[in-house]
Amino acid sequence: MRTEQLVDVLARQAGPAPRHAVERRIAVAAGLGAIASALGAIGTLGLNAGLADMGLGLATKLAYVVGLLLAAAWFADRVSRPGTPWRRAGWNVLAVVLVMTVLAAAFWALAPSTERLSLLLGRSWASCPWRVAMLSVPALAAVLWAMRGLAPTRPRTAGFAAGLLAGSIGALGYALYCPELSPLFVLVWYTLGILVPGAVGAVLGPWLLRW
Amino acid sequence: MQKDFEEQLRPLWLQAQAGDEPAYRQALSLVADRLRGYFSRRMTGFSQDVEDLVQETLLALHLQRGTYDAGIPVTAWVHGIARHKLVDLWRRRGRSERLFESFDDLPEALHPAVHNEAEAQRDLGVLLQALPAAQRLSIVDTKLEGLSVADAALREGVSESAVKVNVHRGLKRLAQLIRGTP
Repeated sequence: MRTEQLVDVLARQAGPAPRHAVERRIAVAAGLGAIASALGAIGTLGLNAGLADMGLGLATKLAYVVGLLLAAAWFADRVSRPGTPWRRAGWNVLAVVLVMTVLAAAFWALAPSTERLSLLLGRSWASCPWRVAMLSVPALAAVLWAMRGLAPTRPRTAGFAAGLLAGSIGALGYALYCPELSPLFVLVWYTLGILVPGAVGAVLGPWLLRW
Repeated sequence: MQKDFEEQLRPLWLQAQAGDEPAYRQALSLVADRLRGYFSRRMTGFSQDVEDLVQETLLALHLQRGTYDAGIPVTAWVHGIARHKLVDLWRRRGRSERLFESFDDLPEALHPAVHNEAEAQRDLGVLLQALPAAQRLSIVDTKLEGLSVADAALREGVSESAVKVNVHRGLKRLAQLIRGTP
């Protein structure tokens, strides 16, 4: 086949390029993952009946998780496009964690020393990261599938970004059940739970994101 | 040099993204010439593979053109895909064949032929035969015979979106066939 012929075949009736293809694919995958995560949390753990009375603690938690979700979604978007700068998008995720670290540190510093340990451990530290990770599994599958149809040229980084996004989605679902209010708890155990799918994504990326 | 090429390519590419067919054809031709040079310099001794890789990359550019963000240089995006395809070929060949084997100690007659024409080793007709019938039909109608999507849909008795999906999937499959992965 002559290359001229291929060029002609590709251009003919090509129409406009799909608009917002990356955003759309990632948003659909994230949406499906979020539904699965919420249903999973309510179905297996149950909805926290006290959610409405959790006030500032819940708001801080949600702000952190949603902040991470948006930063990770942008990171995933950037690494799905060839030749597109992505490092800053990666640092943005870290910036969200740093803001939460400042908040949690202030909270810790202001608390009486006898309560500090319970601010960190709460009642559910041992199960929280694993539940966040488990609730992120459908989202991880969906986001990796979405990325397979895009063009990530750094499969490990792309898998990591997909994992962070999936982890944030899992954390969002877990927040429907989670009884903890301390920012320090959220910072440590939620972040750990989000890093688990992040690591899984980084391992799976080179296998799944070939094109 | 790179900057000149960007200035030449960018307006064409943006028009092409908006659906301008002549601009798209011209942009792809420019990119094809550029890719040929890029791959030739990096695949000395494997000139017969160069055109295959040029075509594989052109297909990838087409299939992935939705991932181009107008905020970045077109050349950066094209280079990202070209480099990915080159590394992919090295990785696939590297272990089974020695890609960078020197031909210096081989007699002249055994040197690989140098293709000056921009022709790949595979034939489009043969490749098309390997596609599922619906995909082949949609590609032949719109891409070879130049029917509009609406006319092709009418002829094939399917919806317009089905024709578009068939073409997209067929080209994707074609890319896989050229890449040599089933």
